[in-house]
Amino acid sequence: MSSLEYLIPFLKQASLIAGMALVAIGVFCDLAGSIGLLRFPNFFVRLHAATVGTIGGAAYPLLGVALMAAACDFLGPARWFIMTGSILAGIIIVLTAPAGSHALARAAHRMGVPVEPKVCDLLEEDKGGRR
Amino acid sequence: MDVEGLVTAFVMAVFPFFVASASLYVARLVKGPTIPDMILAVDCLSYDLSLFMALLAIYFRSSFLIVGAISLALWAYALDLYAAKWMEGRELGE
Repeated sequence: MSSLEYLIPFLKQASLIAGMALVAIGVFCDLAGSIGLLRFPNFFVRLHAATVGTIGGAAYPLLGVALMAAACDFLGPARWFIMTGSILAGIIIVLTAPAGSHALARAAHRMGVPVEPKVCDLLEEDKGGRR
Repeated sequence: MDVEGLVTAFVMAVFPFFVASASLYVARLVKGPTIPDMILAVDCLSYDLSLFMALLAIYFRSSFLIVGAISLALWAYALDLYAAKWMEGRELGE
């Protein structure tokens, strides 16, 4: 029992520091993703920057918010709601963001969004040459 | 510094970075040469806002804001799928 009393404050501090580190890394990824989304040349390259901005910049920081909330005693019982909701939102983003961006990329290629500059486009060649 | 002051100062410290990245996303949304670019910018903005609402829930000590974070994450997925379907066939299904 006495070892548990020593362990709980240590765990709280560790989860607070880990959560803040995850959020700090996420903010950096968010900024990098937004700069990439603005600067990259075409839509399919911008999808890469968007992945940095969503998975690195929103999903993992949400798990960090959950860790932070678990350590915040001043929130009262609300911290368990915030923790559960953050974990849920993070899992939802991890599962749905790749599926959504894949559907978007497929539709954009079929719609004929220009790929410029282009090295090779095997999907276009499979469908019968250059448009 | 106690935990409350530390967390409050941390949320205040990351706030300008969120505003900066959101304004860059909005710049792409306004500038976007094609429709998929705009949809992608709205997606990134929604996920960004979802994380920011989770941080605000801690800052304002309110658990209701987290509901908005979950709905924003789900809304971006629905927008992706509907936009993709409309771009492929110019219809949203019956």
